[in-house]
Order: sequence, then structure tokens, then C-alpha cells
Amino acid sequence: MKTLLRTFAITLLALAVWSCNDHCTETRVRKQFTPVTISLLEIRKDLKTETPRTLEHPGKIYVKDKYLFINEIKEGIHIIDNSNPANPRAVAFVSIPGNGDMAVRGNILYADSYSDLVALDISDPKNPKEVGRVAEVFRSGQFEGGSWSYNESIRAIDAQNVTYITETIKTNCEDSPTTPNWWRGGWETLAFADAAFNRSGGKTAAAPGGGGNGQAGSMARFALYDQFLYTVGQNSLHLFDISTPSKPTDYSIINLGWGIETIFPYKDKLFIGSTTGMHIYDNSNPAKPAKLSVFQHGRACDPVVVHDDVAYVTLRTGTACGGGQNQLDLVDIRDLTRPQLIKSYQMQNPHGLGIDFPTLYLCEGKYGLKVFDAQDPFSVDSHLVSHFKDMDAYDVIPLGKTLLMIGKDGLYQFDASNPKQLRQLSKIPVGQPLI
Amino acid sequence: MKKILTMLVLTLALVPSYAQEGTFKKRYLNHTEIGLMLGRVKYDPYAGQGGTPQNISENRINLTLQLLNGVQYSPRLGIGVITGLDWYNSALVNPVGLGLRYDLAGKKNTRLYASTDAGYGFTWFHQNSDGFDTHGGLMLNPGLGLRIGKPDGAAFTLSFSYKHQDVKVEKPPLFDQTSRLEDRNYNRLLVKAGVSF
Repeated sequence: MKTLLRTFAITLLALAVWSCNDHCTETRVRKQFTPVTISLLEIRKDLKTETPRTLEHPGKIYVKDKYLFINEIKEGIHIIDNSNPANPRAVAFVSIPGNGDMAVRGNILYADSYSDLVALDISDPKNPKEVGRVAEVFRSGQFEGGSWSYNESIRAIDAQNVTYITETIKTNCEDSPTTPNWWRGGWETLAFADAAFNRSGGKTAAAPGGGGNGQAGSMARFALYDQFLYTVGQNSLHLFDISTPSKPTDYSIINLGWGIETIFPYKDKLFIGSTTGMHIYDNSNPAKPAKLSVFQHGRACDPVVVHDDVAYVTLRTGTACGGGQNQLDLVDIRDLTRPQLIKSYQMQNPHGLGIDFPTLYLCEGKYGLKVFDAQDPFSVDSHLVSHFKDMDAYDVIPLGKTLLMIGKDGLYQFDASNPKQLRQLSKIPVGQPLI
Repeated sequence: MKKILTMLVLTLALVPSYAQEGTFKKRYLNHTEIGLMLGRVKYDPYAGQGGTPQNISENRINLTLQLLNGVQYSPRLGIGVITGLDWYNSALVNPVGLGLRYDLAGKKNTRLYASTDAGYGFTWFHQNSDGFDTHGGLMLNPGLGLRIGKPDGAAFTLSFSYKHQDVKVEKPPLFDQTSRLEDRNYNRLLVKAGVSF
């Protein structure tokens, strides 16, 4: 008995001693960029209408009358018949290489295709036709962190394909990274400028200038006003003359500075979100927007929406933008030349937002959708009406009676006739064939 | 987890209603221990950056405190609820679970005992760094010890045991990453001194 016990004890101790190593592994998902070259001829040839396909990486959303346009990042646009929000039906998929943004006036859909701006006639949504193209106007851009640039000498696009790679490494069981950061600067700068492109679009308030326009969002880079289409690039505002809607022409370029992300037209003003602040432009002469002021804040991703005298700006952290804040800023813009902060509210990870005064819809990324009553600008946080947690929320378009919300997991539609009690009408999930 | 804890408490409540043996009377048992958790970790500080892997090894020494409250069920078997505090380098873990003490051999005043503690390590009191989220996990702690003292009085204990603790940490992604999750398995040799009564 004793021998047995002793053997048992020694074995147990020995086992314990031999395996007394901490084993820690870190699983990371990261983006890998592979350089590719795509010729302009190829890009132009590949623009075509296809049968509806599955939502995979939904980007920005756009609404025009009963039709809904969902960008498939870098691939094209899904056209959805949304006459019954409870039962949206896919109409077609327009394959547009290098597409990230869109805008619709009347029967014409404007979309970017890497360096080109294309105009498509969508009077028959099942079969859109290319009617105009402004070639080689955009010089560079980003998709999901992968950048592209126009290579003039060979008339092609130097792009990067983005793939997601899962890797597992052994760590030292500590919070701090085990890897030295000497190469961080390079990546961060690269990843940073991508801010606007890897988010989806959508915000509202009736778009001004002509009843034939659709509605875009706080994340949009395209805006329609009067007889112009405004597009923002990373450092400039590009104007296209669309007095003949089917024949857009290159009009002018206004330099804006650096890190421009979104454009939001409101009344006769343009509100431009950049990684460093909010630019306000007077647009009373649409051919020549004039700078009024800049509202500066720390470096962060920041879409902006406006209602009357108040601008709602969200700042969030993220590898794409740098910055260390997650907040909602309310800005007093009664004096457009001197915007003034009303109050900052701490949030979790705010992305896009939309205002249907007094209801404020705020997307919190993986933390879901929050609905606030923003009647009193000094106590927005204590007027949280509801919080939908089990969904991913990137951006919203409030349409009065209904609310559109897009997230990584799909497109949601809510009945918003009573903002205090949102009711989900339908969902177009990612990864499932559209009907 | 909650279910397991409830069952545990119920089990303990039922224990006294079972048969008694001989002149032995069941009594309250407390076993309080303090000790060191000794371990090593081997890792590649340049992992994920290409090049030839080069592992380095580091020592880890951490403090542990543990309380067992329960009943001395038979002359040999003690059973109770354990609560503890384990200060790992970057996680403060509170194990809660069931503990057993069983005398294997020995004379009256010096006995060899086996101990088995198992439960769940919570991270209630852990302060996360910004952007981090630390979750607890399974805890297992079998071992052997010496009890020096009168059988039904107070005694000093010295024990050697092996502790396994799972911890999961969600970390803020770096650079071009979209998610970063760490799975920690702490495996330590514990040297503990304690009192029991």
C-alpha cells in the first residue's frame, strides 16, 4: 500500500512539474494586401447587369423612391425593389468594378468605377444601361483598407486585393503586444485613410435641390445639389456638371485638405466630415462652394448629420482612423462661421447616424442600434429610447415611416411610425441568396 | 456556471443528513492557504513577423490565496466550497468551486492528504486595460499535502499542487487586424502553506 502511494505521489508531482508552462495563443484576423493591376479596358468591359446575387460585403446604401441600392464593396450595386418594406425583392445586380458610392437623380444612377464616373439609365431597373462616362477623373481611393491608384502611363489601375487571414501565434500571456512596434507607423498611415470606404452609407433629412434625387447617408461621398454632383476624394471636392443628367461632365476641383471622408448637403450648405474635423461650406453658388469654417476635433472617424441649428458628429476609434475617442458631439451651428460645441456624450463605438428630429438613430457597430430622443441637446444620453443589441449596425437612413439600417450581417428595415417602439419589418441577410 | 454553484451548495447542505460513522462527529472545516504559483512561459517575441522562430523562456511567479469552508465529513474526508484570489501577471482571477481533502496515510499527528479543487475562475475584480476584455474559465487544482497537527484540532498544512486555469482575453486589434483574441492556459506548480481547523 505504502509503495503504491509513494509511486502515485511521485508520479503526480512529476507530472505537475513537467507541465508547469503557461500556454497562451493569440488568434488574430488580419488583412492581407496583394497587389493587382487591372486595365481600364477590362474595367469598362466588365460593367454589366447580372441576375441578383447574394449580399457579401455590403457597403453604402441609397434610396430612390421605391428602389433601394446596396453597394457591394468594390463589386457593384444590388438593386432592390422595396415597394413593400416587409418584403423587399431583388431586381438585379449591376457589376461595376471598383464601385463604392452612388447617387440617383431621376432615372440616372451615378456610380464610381475606380477612376471613372459612370452614368447608368435605370428607367428599366432590371436592365440598367450605361449612358455616360467621365473617364479617368478619380486618381486614387481605398477599399477595405486596400488602396488603388491610377497609373497613367499604362492606363490601368494599380490596386490591392484584400484577403482576411487568420493566424495563431504563441504569446507571453500578457496584455501588451509581444511584438515591437517599429513598423506600426507605416501600416497606420495606410490603414487610416480608408476611413470612409470601409463603412457603409446612409443618413437623411430630405435631400435638397430637385425632387428627383434619392437619399444618401452620413457616410456618403456623393451628393447631388442643383445641377451638380459633388464627390469627395481623400483631399478634394470634385464637381460634375449634370445639367444634362445622362451626360455628366467634369466641372472643377476644390482642394479641401486631408483625410476627407463624407459629404452631407443640408439646405444650401455642405457639411464635410474629415478625420480631423467638420468643414462647413456655403453652397449658395453651387458652382463654387465657399469655405465658411472648420470645426476641429481629435483624429477619428466622423460622419456628420444636421438638423436646423445643430450638427451631430460621431467620433470613434478604430484602426482605420486612429484616435482615442468614442463619442457623439452636438455642435451649435447657428453661426456657421463659428461652430460651437454644445455637449459631448460618451458612446461605445459610434458609426453612422441619422436624425428624424427629435429622434436620433445612432449605430454602435457591434453594440447594435441606439435610439435617442434628442429634444434637449444637453441631456441626450439620459433619453435613450431603445437599444437593439443583437445586430451589427453601421449606418441608417430614416425615411419617416420606415428606417433602413445596414450592418455587417445584412440590411434591416424597421417600422418607425412610432420611434419609441421600432418594429423590425424585414432583413436581407448577408450570405443568403436574395429572392 | 450558476447551476453548478447552486448544485454544489445543495450538495453541501445535504451532506450532514447522511450516516455518521462511529464516534466521529461531523464538524465545520476551514482550510486557509497562501502560496506561490510557479511557472514558465516560452514564446517567440517576434512571432508573426516572419523570419526564423526564436523562442525565449521566462519565469512566472504569482501569489495565490485560497479559502475552503465546509464540513469534515468523515475522519478522512473533508469537503467544502473554495474561494480564492490568484494574481496572475495580467489577470486577477477569483476561482470558486468545490474542494475535497482526503487523508491518504500517516501517523496521528502528521498525515499525507490528497486535495482536489475544481471550479470556475471569475474575473470580477480584474481591471481591464483600455480596449481589453478578460473572461475567466475552468480551474483545476489537484495536489498532495502534509497536515501537521491533531486530527480534530487545528493543523498546519504544506502542499504541492498543480493548477490549471483558463482565461480568454479579447484584445483591441492592432494595425491591419480586424480581431484579436487570446486563449490563455495557465499551468502552475503551487507551493502553499496554510492552516486548517
